[in-house]
Amino acid sequence: MNLHAEHLSIAGRALLDRRQFLSNSATALGSIALTHMLGLDGLLAAENHGPIIDPARPYAPRLPHFAPQAKNVVVIFCAGAVSQLETWDYKPELIKWDDKPLPGGPAVTFQGPAGNLARPQYEFRPRGQTGKWVSDMIPHLAELTDDIAFVHSLTSKSNTHGPAENFLSTGFVLDGFPSLGSWVTYALGSGSQELPSYVAIPDPRGVPQNGANNWGPGFLPAAFQGTTMSSKNLVRHLAAAGVPADADEAARSLLQRMNARHLAANPGDSKLSARIASYELAARMQLSVPGINDLSTEPAHILKMYGADDTQNPDKAAFAKNCILARRLIEKGVRFVQLFNGAYASGGKLNWDGHNALKEQYDVHASILDQPAAALIRDLKQRGLLKDTLVVWCTEFGRMPFFQKGSKGRDHNPDGFTCWLTGAGVKPGVSHGVTDDLGQKAIEDLHPLYHFNATILHLLGLDFEKLSFEHNGIQRRLTNVEGKLIPQLLASPP
Amino acid sequence: MPMPKSSRIKIAAFVVPLWWGVSAAAAPIDFVREVRPIFEKHCMECHGEKKQKSGLRLDVKAAALKGGDNEGPNILPGKAKESSLIHRITSSDDDQVMPPKGERLSAAQVSTLTAWINEGAAWPDGVDAVKLKDRRDHWSFKPLAVASGGAAIDTFIAAKLKENGLAMSPPADRANWLRRVTFDLTGLPPTPEQVQAFGKDARSDAYERAVDELLKSPRYGERWAQHWLDVVRYADTDGFEVNTERPNAWPYRDYVIAAFNADTPYDRFIKEQISGDAMGADAATGFLVTASVLLPGQIGQDEPSKRLARQDSLDEMVNNVGQSFLALSIGCARCHDHKFDPITAKDYYAMQAFVAGVEYQERELRTPESIAARERAKQVKSQLTALDKQLASFVPLVKSGVPRPMVAARGNVDRFAKVKAKRVRFTIRETNNLEPCLDELEVFNTAGDNVALKAAVTVSGETVSAGTHEQRFVNDGNYGNSRSWMSNEKGKGWVMIEFPQEHGIDRVVWGRDRLGTFKDRLATSYVIEAADASGTWKVVADSDDRQRFEAGDRPQPALATQGLSKDEAAAATPLLNRKRQLDEELNRLNVPQKVFAGVFRTPDEIRLLNRGDPEQPKEEVMPAVISALGDLKLDKPSPEQKRRTALADWIASPQNPLTARVMVNRIWQGHFGAGLVQTPSDFGNNGAKPSHPGLLDWLAGEFIRTGWSVKHMHRLIVLSQTYRQSSSWNTQAAAKDADVRFLWCFPSRRLEAESIRDSILAVSGALNPKMYGPGYDLFDQRGGLSGFTPIEVSTTENQRRMIYAHKVRRETEAVFGAFDCPDAGQSTAARRASTTPIQALNLFNSRFTLDQSNAFAARVKKEAGDDIAKQIRRAWQLALTREPTATEMSDTMPAVAKHGLAVLCRALFNSNEFLFLP
Repeated sequence: MNLHAEHLSIAGRALLDRRQFLSNSATALGSIALTHMLGLDGLLAAENHGPIIDPARPYAPRLPHFAPQAKNVVVIFCAGAVSQLETWDYKPELIKWDDKPLPGGPAVTFQGPAGNLARPQYEFRPRGQTGKWVSDMIPHLAELTDDIAFVHSLTSKSNTHGPAENFLSTGFVLDGFPSLGSWVTYALGSGSQELPSYVAIPDPRGVPQNGANNWGPGFLPAAFQGTTMSSKNLVRHLAAAGVPADADEAARSLLQRMNARHLAANPGDSKLSARIASYELAARMQLSVPGINDLSTEPAHILKMYGADDTQNPDKAAFAKNCILARRLIEKGVRFVQLFNGAYASGGKLNWDGHNALKEQYDVHASILDQPAAALIRDLKQRGLLKDTLVVWCTEFGRMPFFQKGSKGRDHNPDGFTCWLTGAGVKPGVSHGVTDDLGQKAIEDLHPLYHFNATILHLLGLDFEKLSFEHNGIQRRLTNVEGKLIPQLLASPP
Repeated sequence: MPMPKSSRIKIAAFVVPLWWGVSAAAAPIDFVREVRPIFEKHCMECHGEKKQKSGLRLDVKAAALKGGDNEGPNILPGKAKESSLIHRITSSDDDQVMPPKGERLSAAQVSTLTAWINEGAAWPDGVDAVKLKDRRDHWSFKPLAVASGGAAIDTFIAAKLKENGLAMSPPADRANWLRRVTFDLTGLPPTPEQVQAFGKDARSDAYERAVDELLKSPRYGERWAQHWLDVVRYADTDGFEVNTERPNAWPYRDYVIAAFNADTPYDRFIKEQISGDAMGADAATGFLVTASVLLPGQIGQDEPSKRLARQDSLDEMVNNVGQSFLALSIGCARCHDHKFDPITAKDYYAMQAFVAGVEYQERELRTPESIAARERAKQVKSQLTALDKQLASFVPLVKSGVPRPMVAARGNVDRFAKVKAKRVRFTIRETNNLEPCLDELEVFNTAGDNVALKAAVTVSGETVSAGTHEQRFVNDGNYGNSRSWMSNEKGKGWVMIEFPQEHGIDRVVWGRDRLGTFKDRLATSYVIEAADASGTWKVVADSDDRQRFEAGDRPQPALATQGLSKDEAAAATPLLNRKRQLDEELNRLNVPQKVFAGVFRTPDEIRLLNRGDPEQPKEEVMPAVISALGDLKLDKPSPEQKRRTALADWIASPQNPLTARVMVNRIWQGHFGAGLVQTPSDFGNNGAKPSHPGLLDWLAGEFIRTGWSVKHMHRLIVLSQTYRQSSSWNTQAAAKDADVRFLWCFPSRRLEAESIRDSILAVSGALNPKMYGPGYDLFDQRGGLSGFTPIEVSTTENQRRMIYAHKVRRETEAVFGAFDCPDAGQSTAARRASTTPIQALNLFNSRFTLDQSNAFAARVKKEAGDDIAKQIRRAWQLALTREPTATEMSDTMPAVAKHGLAVLCRALFNSNEFLFLP
């Protein structure tokens, strides 16, 4: 196992010997794995041991369960629940039934009384080789359909944003469970040792509805928490503000010598060497992170392609910069990048929660999402990065085929909505699963979000039933006790 | 494949009527020879000993005939057609068919199984290779083992070490032991003076005295409460998307701190947290409602959403009780019987029924002080009423020449020379906005009685809002907007009162909202007229001699002696002073402390829910404890509080095999970093086994014998030889026991986030020891949807111990959160101790560290003077409680000389020696 020992101090190097680590793993991270191997005598213990994590290098790359199709992930997370009916799930029947009541439909949905059925608020047309019908709301993304695998028949366990974003991100509706990105980096580490292994990039307009739960580590070690970063805000505490460089260096060097002497007096304790190593990694991060966001090195045509130069639409330009940041992080080997489009609850003004004035608000949101997100995927592709990178587009649930009474917006609908995959390992040009003629409920190939998450793990070479962590007596998984693959989305199904 | 002859016969048996099939079959299917091989080959990989997908296993008779989680019994003897096992193996649906992968069952195999079921699914006893484990047959469900005489911690530890070819390490030196035990019991380092005094204490009981001192310190409760708050996932916000502030959760946090400091017996601690409202420990039931919860505004309007949200919130309560006190994952049985432990789904819902009347809400905190305050408030109010009556005659008369105060929404008095009145009319000429509103119009006779009360009333018109704004409320004796009259015209309107007979009146009192909430719709210009029995109207008062009304939230002018005669003023002054005092006192008394500790109401009807789905209710369930562990059961009509007290009594009983074991294990874990059972919230079949079962039981027994004293447990542990060992690493011992499970040395570990922050403040001299009360802010907001910008500036308030921070769920503290601070989503029974570069960045570069390094440097300079060597020595003493060595001194001097002392302070705060227990 290559420990990149050349980057570490003599003291650190001496203690990062693999054999010694294993024999000395009284450390917390080491013993997490060891608890699984030695401590548990329950039924699952034999086959559910976690990855062996070197406490000095928690982000070191680790092998998946089987050969992966994808190595990295970019998740484009549209907070607020994007309407499937205005985007990817074309329902011409709705045009016929526009403004008519839905016979036998629910009287009351999440936010209140239901109104009449409402036609798709945008024109649809067939796109690309597959002829997939996509709306004019998202003309740039619409051009990519030949590369996309859609699943139109997803269901959620909650119709409320908070629990539903929990469900999408963690597999549980309750607070406090590890996010997908935390699971992935816990399992696989990262390809970069100079950058955080898991980066969450909030929308320039604000954090998504469920905030830090979407990138929280839950009960996994804090090492696997998503680090927030955006084109506007870098990682916190990168440098000591107001401390002159020479004093800063003096403190660092004093600390190094103190720790080295302490280690010499307490030989063999890998917890101590791990902490020494963490300061060395931090020092390298301090140098690398500022560069990652320096867009001055991006050529004009790239800025234009993403829309980062759009002075008319500053929110779009800021989101475009976040998209460029996402690409640069992937280029550097960061394992998991979560890119948010849509901020917190705001009556649909800042995210996709179109209860009241759906068309008006979606015009704005789509103008921010469409070109930059499409450019990100194209850019990843033209650089060859899409061969190793899985791109996920997701939202917590869908919306109702009827308007809410007295409004021009649609209410929450967890019974049939669309998310999609593209990139590494994904079967291009697929539309899987069907909702009814009005787009209210999935009727064929129903997939609770567990299946979607299981499929993402599978593409990364992870068995969603094996990837688990003992917490308070329960062997927890991303997909709880559920889950199965959606083989229709895979280029090479097992 | 040609079908074997015997199978063909069986198929015939299947298609012909059953009576014929059974009687005609020459040789019945033999389970062992014909059926089991099919199960073994095709089914048992997923439905056998190792895996039981969907809860189904086919290798043991009892389990196989019981069936899986979803379909109930899959094998219905005699009814192959209705048995889902047959449906599954013959299904043409790819999602349904079994086995899901690999070879399908052949027609012959299908017909064998079909025939076997139709023949009655005969499965002889005693042929199974494995026996189902009796899930109740588990160490932690059995009574405590009684230890032989003379047992003690060290005896057990030494024996286990010997068994494994290991031995204890030599003791740590005194200073290291004191540093260790001080961190352990108080979360702070000892002062250099404490170390020095202890070093010199030659008394034979010096160690005992040191421990007693530490346990007496209020810092002890602040440290140990944190662990409990981790377990119960305490926070000061509601969680989920909206994450609103929970402003009155902290009395529960304070309760826990105080309970540890007072060494509240643990059995009582349990009972108080479940039913403290019945025991004079009102804040303690905060325990029941510590979880995240969706509040009414965040739950869908549709009924299924409401039912699901209620179920989720009940689930959190059951989990909290199960995990915290019993170390059982009862919540696993919400959707199906527990996979490993003897907990059925019915048990789960029976546990819900104990807490089915608890709502996630706040209520007034009842403490002896608050009850006394309420009594006092009653007295003050009646004194004030009497005073007001006396003072009424000292309100400035109208048209006295002195401008009267401007009108106020809260109430106004118009006093005039006595007139005879049969009717009184109050006419509004202008308002500050909208239609005028009067909450009460009172007319006083010279004897001081309100003669308008319930007299006949006429109005110019009204805007009716039933139950709130109605004509009859204007003289019903009730104050406030919700009992008021509202005109139907903007800016004007009148009210007329007619008495049964003529009265001599001298005062009219009126207001918009005397409860003080509403300030709109206020009559700013008005006239009051009275008519005597003859019907002659006369103006008695109007607003013209009042100060002009100005909008804005100005405090109501206090009663004054302005406009009174000299004699009147002399008489009024002492009354006014008294009134002022009483008003102030009443204001203080009238702000009752609230606590988020649950509101108790008639319990919901609890039903067993199929697959945990509130839309699939089955039979009703009564409160009962887990049937495998006890037989406590309540009848339906049990009142709410009785349910909780019964549950608490059952848990907090010496006979409960889990309760004491679970807590002593948590205490042990707090001292050694890992419990004797390494899964502190799972003592079930899937949990870890105790490394020292005898010791665990001995400690649990001792705990009960000594009246459940937590402090006694601490004393036993920290005064043991086991605890006193040096932490030096020993490669030979490590080769045998790398995890130090057998405790051949003291296992050193990194301090927890709170200890690091608190210790930095203690060492820098900035620690504010203020205890209790609302938490200080970590962020620019105390709850809400977004943002949470960390506050980086140090203040007196935020230099309190971290347990007093206002804990925002999901948002961990910006510097120390990265040190594995729980986010209060799910219970944290044991903290991980990650090592990450983000921790290093935070601790090395944050404003907090830099500020505290400067404060530390300033303190040291003050205490040690200008001499650099003295400064360095003092810094070492304060941060590491030892003297620097000569090497350290000479290595440090140049940097301090060149860059200043703060550089050293920053390095010390980041050093491993500072951050790890010695």
